[in-house]
Order: sequence, then structure tokens, then C-alpha cells
Amino acid sequence: MTGTLLQDIRYSLRQLSKSPGFTLTAVMTLALGIGANAAIFTLVQGILLRSLPVKDPGQLYRVGDQDDCCVNGGYMNENGDFDLFSYDLYLHLRSSAPEFEQLAGMQSGQNSYSVRRGNAISKSLRAEYVTGNYFETLGIGPFMGRMLTENDDAAAATPVVVLSYEAWQSEFSGDGTMIGSTVTINGQALTVAGITPRGFFGDRISDRPPALWMPIQTEPLIAGPGTILHHQDSNWLYLLGRAKPGTNILALQSKLSIALRQWLATRPMYTDNGGSAELPKQHVVIVPGGGGIQNLQQETGTGLRMLMGLSAVVLLIACANIANLLLARGTARRSEISIRMALGAGRGRLIRQIITESILLSCIGGVASLAVAYAGSHMILSLAFPDARSMPIDGSPSLPVLGFAFLVSLVTGVLFGIAPAWLTSHAQPAEALRGSGGSGRSARDRSSLPQKVLVVVQVVLSLALLVSASLMSKSLANLEHMDFGIASSNRYVVHVDPAGAGYTMEKLPSLYHELESRFAAMPGVSGVGMALYSPLEGNNWGECVIPQGYPAPGPNSHCNSTWDRVNAHYLATIGVPMVRGREFTEQDTPTSLPVAMVNETFVKRFFPQGDPVGKHFGIDLPQYSSSFEIVGVFKDFKINNPREATRPVFMRPLTQYLTAYKEPPIIGGEVQSMFVNSLILRFNGPQQDVESLIRRTLAEVNPNLTVQDLRSLDAQVAGNFNQDRLIARLTTLFGILALVVASVGLYGVTSYFVARRTSEIGIRMALGATRNQVLQLIARGVVVQLGLGLLFGVPAAMLTGHFIVSQLYGVSAYDPVSLFSAAAVLAFCALVAGMIPARRAASIEPMQALRTE
Amino acid sequence: MIELTNVERSYRTGPTETWVLRQVNLTIRPGEFVTVTGPSGAGKSSLLNVLAMLDDQWKGDFLFEGEAVQGMTRKQRADLARRRIGMVFQSYHLLDDLTVAENIDLPLSYKDIPRKERQALVADTLDRFNIVGKKDLYPSQLSGGQQQLVGIARAVIHRPSLLLADEPTGNLHSEQAKEIMDLFCKLNQEGATIVQVTHSKENAQFGSRILELRDGWVYSDTSAKRTAGVQS
Repeated sequence: MTGTLLQDIRYSLRQLSKSPGFTLTAVMTLALGIGANAAIFTLVQGILLRSLPVKDPGQLYRVGDQDDCCVNGGYMNENGDFDLFSYDLYLHLRSSAPEFEQLAGMQSGQNSYSVRRGNAISKSLRAEYVTGNYFETLGIGPFMGRMLTENDDAAAATPVVVLSYEAWQSEFSGDGTMIGSTVTINGQALTVAGITPRGFFGDRISDRPPALWMPIQTEPLIAGPGTILHHQDSNWLYLLGRAKPGTNILALQSKLSIALRQWLATRPMYTDNGGSAELPKQHVVIVPGGGGIQNLQQETGTGLRMLMGLSAVVLLIACANIANLLLARGTARRSEISIRMALGAGRGRLIRQIITESILLSCIGGVASLAVAYAGSHMILSLAFPDARSMPIDGSPSLPVLGFAFLVSLVTGVLFGIAPAWLTSHAQPAEALRGSGGSGRSARDRSSLPQKVLVVVQVVLSLALLVSASLMSKSLANLEHMDFGIASSNRYVVHVDPAGAGYTMEKLPSLYHELESRFAAMPGVSGVGMALYSPLEGNNWGECVIPQGYPAPGPNSHCNSTWDRVNAHYLATIGVPMVRGREFTEQDTPTSLPVAMVNETFVKRFFPQGDPVGKHFGIDLPQYSSSFEIVGVFKDFKINNPREATRPVFMRPLTQYLTAYKEPPIIGGEVQSMFVNSLILRFNGPQQDVESLIRRTLAEVNPNLTVQDLRSLDAQVAGNFNQDRLIARLTTLFGILALVVASVGLYGVTSYFVARRTSEIGIRMALGATRNQVLQLIARGVVVQLGLGLLFGVPAAMLTGHFIVSQLYGVSAYDPVSLFSAAAVLAFCALVAGMIPARRAASIEPMQALRTE
Repeated sequence: MIELTNVERSYRTGPTETWVLRQVNLTIRPGEFVTVTGPSGAGKSSLLNVLAMLDDQWKGDFLFEGEAVQGMTRKQRADLARRRIGMVFQSYHLLDDLTVAENIDLPLSYKDIPRKERQALVADTLDRFNIVGKKDLYPSQLSGGQQQLVGIARAVIHRPSLLLADEPTGNLHSEQAKEIMDLFCKLNQEGATIVQVTHSKENAQFGSRILELRDGWVYSDTSAKRTAGVQS
């Protein structure tokens, strides 16, 4: 058996080397088809299928299954699904669930902080607050020093920090004296306790994993008055636990849900104003946590699965194409097969020989595909995560990817080898040995029927891919060219961290004044905006709004409004017009009347009757409902998710701090909101060397005021569509690939058809057929195959549209323009591909054709 | 009907030029039945291809019914051939997937003839050649002689003034061959001008004139009553 297999392989290799043109075409087609799949699978494996690099990931469970972020108050999801927890609630759940060996809490929304060692310039590093048992829960020991322990949860513990191996290498040059040294984080001194093992990236896959892990007890120290650690109603932690072996997870889920409801029942926030009615449905869902917190997986899962499906279609087209090539070769080899059969070879033996050849071919293609996969996955990663820093996804093919490519190669080989093997092995030896197996002047050429069917299949699949590409491109164009309501050109957004540079509340007014005047004096600058956060950067602050005179809202009252804190003339800087009233001016001072501007949606939601200007509202509690007077209404613009309908938005001036609040959580929010994070510079026209100018200006204000991020507002807006852009580009790439492969397939089949019909064409011409009539004869075949392909392709494309509808924006899954244009492009390319051999047929010299008889 | 003056044809293979027709001067009058004979490689089929206007790489003058063929474009030659010439082949060249009737209809399908008229012509031809009963059969269901009969029927259906036949009996046994040659004689008597290429001395005698080629030269022509020496 092994001997005959080796013989088959040897013979197959000889056959392939005898036809280098065929082998090269097939290997290239396979490399592209398998490579596209392997590239997508690299991402699927790296994002969706991957476990955290921790001890026994199968034992980890997450309490919560949504991707809510970052600080939330009140009830969370309509169905009562809780996934964010306050620190006190975490402690309560932890004590209620001894089934967990460990239950750790970790910050849901990580932040960047200014980190400085000694007198070095500050670095902006991402950090995450975690409970002391975090590393023990994950089963992670130190690379150097020690990890955090439960002792670090004590309020009096010495503040320490754990550094990631990657950050230690890249930010501190792998300095061996790092352990025990002091780093300053937002002006507070912390001791470096240890360094995590190489490759550890935390509790979730993200494009910017944390460089530091800080004990949760250091949060009050670093956040200062804005601390939320002990706000019992501020939910900001994810929970991840290691269950004891044999734990019944469903029973544990019920138990924790009861514990959750018990705790919520003690909090007025959840019981007042009719909130008690919502209590019974509050619950937690416990899900496997070996893959960590699945935020990225939930964001990208649908897109990745869609790409996986589309790349499989590309591979199917490639398979159909190679099956076609093999069928043509099989016909040419019919006499060889007949001789083998005449000499006693059984059909099974012949089929095995041909399948061996196709599997060998696909394996060579599989090896070549690794290069395509390597380049493809790197390209996809850079497109999907352009801002990635130390992202824990490697574009290089890993063992699972190699295994996947090998498996796909095997399946592909069998898939495209079966039909040719079956047909070739059913040759009639007597007929074939007699000569050409007939007179060779068949007008219908039944032997090419399977090939024509395969071409039709290719046209069907290609149309589906092209329509998908067209839909995704239209969707992307709709997203990118929607009216965001802001002017983004010639504007730059600079992210800074005044708290990290050591500024306190008292020093902020002078800092803002200096920033404003220095940047305003920069050449070409025509406006300086300052805001807690800028439009479409992915940030969102929300509060419950209570118009003056209204009672406290109930739990389902939809009182939430986005809000931002901005400087005078901010809206003019970002190009948002006022609809009524005025914008903030320099006259809005700390001592003047507290004012606010609101958007049109805010007015519709909270002040639908009469003129909103001059009316009052407040946040969270009825006693504050007269806090702010509305002085202006601005036009709606996209401030957070561009796909969503505009939310109610109000803005408050940077100069006004409300001292009336008594509740620590509200005071904390008020304090934090005073620290702007975004500067927006409007230039008169396109500028050169903006970055160095901005960095220099900031350094002149304070060298510790580092640039956390700098990009044009255009780029910031475009960044919202990275995933859409990736999917649109890849789908287009797949569509083009399918188009090329299908066109080559049609060309090949038509060429083969013409070659087989050379003598027939010669006879027809000798009997008076004109060249046009021969052209029509061949073209008719092309048109029939194309027509059938389009006929079946339209429903296939509509079905594909149905599957990708969740990825579309502003375009119907059955968009007739996309359908028509894709069909037109496909028809054009197919006709060109078919016409080349048809023209060749028409130029056949009848005399020569007859001589070949 | 046909006048060839100094017609020459050669093939170039690398630096070598191989001559297949040399200074051919030939006049064929309407109603003649000309047999072209000669050994293999003498240029018989090449001459037939020139006459059939399938070849346009020759030199010299060629008048067909008074029209100068050498001055015509490829398309004009093809048009002329389609209208005036019929071809019969040694290996019949019937299309396997077309029935007898469809094969006979083939030359008409390349002309602007209404379908009804074509059907009538096909029916007449089937009747004339006594093959009405075989009209729905496929070539593979016919004997060699019957296939050639269909081939001839197909060649004459559009009533060409010139019928060219390249070894029409080459694949047939003697009895079948005689039947075909009798048919040619009958067609000739009905007015068709016929030029046939054959190796068979027996079949050559059916013609009214025998032209012998050797090495591309016209070696003898019974009509001219002259014999040329082999020239080198």
C-alpha cells in the first residue's frame, strides 16, 4: 500500500513537472484561495478561538456576558443582565460565592496615564486597576519581582505597580534595576513590584493592552477627588473567577443572581422611584472566561465570520477553476488512462492515482499559500488596528494556522480532484484506443458539460462576491460621507493629560488660558477648542437629566443625555452652528450664572414645548434640577457612535464648577470633568509639520504635558470605520480575485472548447461559414454559460446580501444598483475572457483545420 | 470558368522554401469534369485549396468566372466561394451531432435564405439523393458510402457552379466508390463543373480530362494534348 502510494506520488510529481504552465497556474490559484482563508483564519484563531496565556484557562469564568463599559450607574440592560459591578458589589458577590477559588475584579475601561521615572520625560502608558488576587486568579507568576497579592488591597498598603514584560522592554529598555524603583503616575509615587512573564497581555485581547497593572486601592490616590472606588452605585469592574473543580456553573449563576438582587435591594438608587419593580429580573450570566473578556470578540466576531464565509467562497471558485483545468487535462490523458485500463488497472486504482495528483497539487498550493497568508494577515491587522501598540496577535502563521492550511489543502485537493478523477476513470478503453474516441467533429461536445457547469458555478459565486463587495463599499461610502454635522478638515485633535502632568483643580484655569493663548498665536491657527473629549473619538459621558420642576425619573424613563465640557467658541471651532441663543463666551465665568448649551435632540426629548432658551435643568437628583440655564441650542452633530441616531447632548463651560453638589459620586464626576483631554486646533488651510509645532508649543507650556495622541479630525472620524473599511476592502479584494479566477476559468474552458472544435470550425468555414458566424457560434456558448451563471447568481447574491445585512449601513441587502453593476462588470470581464478564444476560433485557417484531420 | 496563370505556392520552413505549386497555367471551362492525379506530395490538394479559395497565400493570376481572385479581399473570396463552390472531402467531414438533414442544411444556414425555403431545398436534395429515409439519422449510423453521399448532397445543395472533391472515394470500397463516381457523372451531366483529386486510375477515367501533377508542376493535361518534361 505504502509502495503504491509512493509510486503514485512519484508519478504525480513527474506529471506535474511535465506541465509547468498548468502546475504554476493551479498552484497560484490555490495559493491565493487557501492563502486568503489562512489569513482570515489567522485572525479568527488569534481573536475568536484563542485562550488567554494563563494557567488552566478552562477553569476561568466571567460573571457577566456583555461588553458594557466603562462607568455605569443604575440598571444596565433592559433584560436585567448585569455585567459591570462597583467595588462594594464585587466584594459582596465574592463573599457569596465560595465556589470560586478566586474571583478577581478588573477595570472595564482602561486609561492612559503619564508615567515618569526619575527625571525622564513622561510617557503615556495604558494601565488597568485590578484587585490584589488578579494574578493569582489567572495563575500568573512574576518574570521578575512579585505579582500583586491580596495584601495590596489593604488601604494602608504601599502603592505598587506591576509592569508588563513588553512595556518593560520597550519603555524602560529592559532595565534590570526596575524592581523596587519608583515611578510617578499622575504625580503619585508607586513602587515597581514586578514584571509579568513575556507574552502576558492581561485579561482581554485588545489593540492596546495595558503596560501597567495597579492595585485597585491605588485608585483614590491617582484619581484624587474623582475617585469612584467607594461609590457603591458606580459600576466599573468586570469580574473574572477561577471556579473550583466540579462546580455547577448554572447553580452558581442562580446563586450570584440572588446575591446581586439582595445587594441591589439595599441601595436606594435601585429601589427609589419605582425601581423596586425592576429588581426581580436583575441577574448575572456566567460564561466561560478562558478567552478573557470578549469585548473585541463581540465587536469583530460578526465581521470575521463574514470574511471567513467570503474567503471560503473564493476558495470554492478556485477549486472549480482547478477542477476545470484537471478535466481538460483528463481529456487529454484519456488515451493514457485507457492504456492503463487495458493493462488491467481498476477504476479505484485510477481514481486514487488522480486524487493523489490533485492532493499533491493542493499541498504545494497550501505551502505557497503560507506566504499569501503571512502577507495577508499582516495587511489585515494593520488595516483593522492601525493604532495598535504591542497587540498580542501575531500575523505569522502559527501551528493551528499551519494545521488549518494543511487541512484546507487536503479537502481542496479531494474536492477539485473527485469530478475529474471520476470522469477520466470512466473512459471507454476500446473507444479511446481506436483513436480519438470518435470522429472529433462533435458540434455539441458533451464531454465538456462538467466544465461548463463548473464555469456556471464560478459565475454564480463570483456574482455573489461582487455584489457583497459592492454592498460593503457602498455601505462604507455612506458611513464615511454621512453628514456628521461637524467641519473636520484642517482641524487637529491633541490629547493631553493635565492631571498626569501634575495639575490640580486650582491650577487648571491658568493652564487652559495659557494653552488657548499659545495655540491661538501659532501661525495659521484660527480657532482653539478645548473639551473633555472631542467628537467621534469613542468617548461618551452620560448623566440623567431632570428638567426643572420635574420629579425624579423612574428606572425606565430614558433620562440619559450625553454631555461634554467645552471652552468658549468651541462649537465654532468644530463647525457646529447654533440654532437658537448663543455659544459660550468669555463672559461665562466661575462666578456668573451656570449655563448650558443643548442640541436639538435634547430639546425634543426634554423641552418639546416652547422656547428652551432660558429654561433650567439639572442632573441625577430633583434638588439639582435648576442647576443650569439653557443659553443656546446647537445643531445636532455626531458626538459618539456615528451609526446611532443622535442622542440628547448638553454642554457646560470649562470655567464653571458647580459647588452645590453634596453627594461624593456627583462631586467626583464634577471634578473629573474639569480636566480636559482634548484640544482641537482649527487651521486656515492645510499645514506642514503640524506635529512638531504642536509638540513644541505644549513643551513650552509644560514639558510634562505630553502628547498622548495627535491626529487630524478627519483621521479621527475615519478611525470610526476601520472595521468597515477592512471588510469593504477585503470583500472587494475577494470580489476581484473571484472575477479574475472566474474569467480565467471561462477563458480556459472556451479555449479548450475551441481547440477541440478546430476541425469542426474548419469544416464549417469550408462550407461557407463566415468568421462572424464562427465568432457567434463560440460566443453563443459563452453567453449561455454567462447567462445561466447570472440567472442563478442573482438569487445567490441576494441570499449573501441577507447574511451580511448586519454589516451594512444605509444600503439595502437587495440593492438593485449593486446587483446590476456587479452583473455588468462580471458580464463584461466574462465576455472579454470568452471572446479571446472565440476570436482565435474565427481566425482559424480552414485549410489548416482540415489538414489536422 | 477558371483561368490560372503562373500560379505558385510555397511554404517557408526556417530558411528553406518548399515549393508545392510551380508556374501552374490552367483553364477549366464550364461543364468540364477534371481529374487531378499525381503521386503524394505532387501538389494536388494544394491546387484544390487554391481553387476552393481556402488558401490565399499563392502568387499569380486566378480568374473565376471572369473575376480576378488575386485582387479580392479575404472576405470577398469567402463570399464568392460560399456562393459558387461546393466541397467534398475524403473523410466526409460530417458533424457528428447533426442529423443527415441538418448536415445537408449546413451550407444554407450560412446564407440569407428563409427557413422555409431552406427546408424545401433540403427536402429536394434528400429526395434527389434517395436518402429521405435517413434524414433523421446521425453520421455514425451510416455506412462510409452513405456518409459520402450525404457529404456530396451537402456540397451541391446550394447549386454551386464548381464542385471540388478531394479524394472523394479514398475511404470507400470499390463498389461504393463506383456509385459515388456515377453520381459525379450525373451531376456533371446536369451542368456542374467538377474538379476531383484522386489517386485511383480507375476513378480518374470518369473525368473528361485528366491533369497530372508532379512536384508541383503540371506534368500532363489530356485537354492540352501535351506533355511537359519534368523541370528541375
